[in-house]
Amino acid sequence: MKLTVDERWDLIDKIAKQTVKYGKYRHTLKDAIAEITVKPLTGIPIAIAVLYGFWSFFGAFAGFFTDGFLVKLFDNHWLPWLQEVFPGKGGWVYYILVGDPMADNCFEAFGMLTSGLFVAIGVVLPAIVAFYLFLIILEDSGYLPRLAVLVDTVLHKIGLHGFAVVPMILSLGCNVPAVAATRTLETRKQRFMMATLLAIFIPCGAQLGIMLEVIPGYVGFVMIYLLTGFFIFGFILNKLIPGKSPEILLDVPPYHMPIARNVRRKLWVRVRSFFTVAIPFVLLGVVIVNIMYLTGFLDWLANLLEPILCGWFGVPKETVGPLIAAFLRKDLAVAQLSAIEMSTYQLVTSVILVSLYFPCVATFAMLIKEGREGGWKGVAQYLFGSLAALIAVVFLWGGLVHLIWIILGVA
Amino acid sequence: MKILLMGHPNVGKSAVFNRLTGAKVTESNYPGTTVDYTKGYMRLEGKDVEIIDVPGTFSLEPKDKAEEVAVKMLKENRDSVIICVIDSVKLERGLYLALEIIEEGYPVVIALNMWDVAEDKNIRIDVEKLENILGVPIVPTIAVSGEGIKELVSRIKEASPIDIEKIVEKAGGVEQ
Repeated sequence: MKLTVDERWDLIDKIAKQTVKYGKYRHTLKDAIAEITVKPLTGIPIAIAVLYGFWSFFGAFAGFFTDGFLVKLFDNHWLPWLQEVFPGKGGWVYYILVGDPMADNCFEAFGMLTSGLFVAIGVVLPAIVAFYLFLIILEDSGYLPRLAVLVDTVLHKIGLHGFAVVPMILSLGCNVPAVAATRTLETRKQRFMMATLLAIFIPCGAQLGIMLEVIPGYVGFVMIYLLTGFFIFGFILNKLIPGKSPEILLDVPPYHMPIARNVRRKLWVRVRSFFTVAIPFVLLGVVIVNIMYLTGFLDWLANLLEPILCGWFGVPKETVGPLIAAFLRKDLAVAQLSAIEMSTYQLVTSVILVSLYFPCVATFAMLIKEGREGGWKGVAQYLFGSLAALIAVVFLWGGLVHLIWIILGVA
Repeated sequence: MKILLMGHPNVGKSAVFNRLTGAKVTESNYPGTTVDYTKGYMRLEGKDVEIIDVPGTFSLEPKDKAEEVAVKMLKENRDSVIICVIDSVKLERGLYLALEIIEEGYPVVIALNMWDVAEDKNIRIDVEKLENILGVPIVPTIAVSGEGIKELVSRIKEASPIDIEKIVEKAGGVEQ
């Protein structure tokens, strides 16, 4: 026998009446905190403070280790030592592994063991640790669903709801788990929209870390520009894509004090996956780019794309190398940009291009995986849909920065 | 035999899973942390038994992709014992899913998780009586600290399919 929905609730009612007693409940400090963080009047300023705190902590922590210690280690000791002892100066093995023998810093050398290791361990590792440490505390305390409630109104304007902020924040760490987290959204339309917008507009933690090193004064501008794009193109996609965007009822859990053991464990899992998954990609990326350079392929491609790169985006044609590297690792691409001679504004434009342009290969694989729910047709929809959105965004949103610089007279 | 961990989103299934298997599945305090299932093994009476951490679901009628995974896992593993994890503060809501699973004919064990939070809120659940009515083993647990997990494991073997009519009878009937 099976019960109907009403019968089942009636049964539960009867059971609960016989087994549960609700005593007097006093408001605790926890409840007070819970309330002020979710009511808009107090909640929004608190949310801004929390996010700003997140950002400051990220910059301070990563800067402390990278600028204070690791840059010196790599530039003053590791690079000169390697340049001296590595055999076969001028040969192609030397070029791929150590890079430019005349370089005096690890950004410019661009060898696998110099720039590759420096980007991965010297810059990105501290950034990843800082980001996840803060994120895990937000996750475990129960703050994220409250943030979701606060931003609900804004996200509704683009056909998403508040909970979509969770994949957005995860995405600032890494786009891959963020795309997986879109599964909690109800409709295929919402999932597709969110996955696409994340892959295009949200820079990952590794990229943010390296941006802080390369364009410290402009990271804020780039973030605001990207987020504005997120909402504008979200609004457009919402109008273009058929499907529904239903409301949700979101459970806001009580606050918990994060438990040290769990924080440690999650941090370890994420750092470990950085070592096993990300670092090999960074190193491989350097090798691939160097080989393409040595064979003359990059020069050929740079000349081919010169009209678009210089004409439309106003960046030097050499940025074609980083744009290819961006498909493997965005952090590597940004590092590579810093070694190309160009104005600060051109650098900012190229960093924006690297962000908007193709999601990295890991995210791409995840997009395909998410599209699979609809069979081959689903994969095609996800892929071509995302690609179409991507191309439009790169040209329009990427071109607009150039236009802004022209108007300001700094292009 | 397999063991499936099921329950609403954010009731602590992953915490129970980590406790049972020693695995390192991500636990967080927001609904929807687990969007795909994770398999692990636990020792049960000298044997290794497969246990699956299933994404949270409110009922057996899925409304998003993570819930679809949950319902699919249940249907694909007919020979499983279900550990139904319930947030003790929201007993009624949790029971809805538990009853649905019992009606499907699965043997169920209930973990009344976050027992400490319920105590803080002065919510008293008469576990003995509840067990009597439902006829399934019920264990209060605090998964993040590990309390009650041993008892939960020791009572898995008591789980057996229960006829819903018996529950209705013991509860004093339902309005038709």
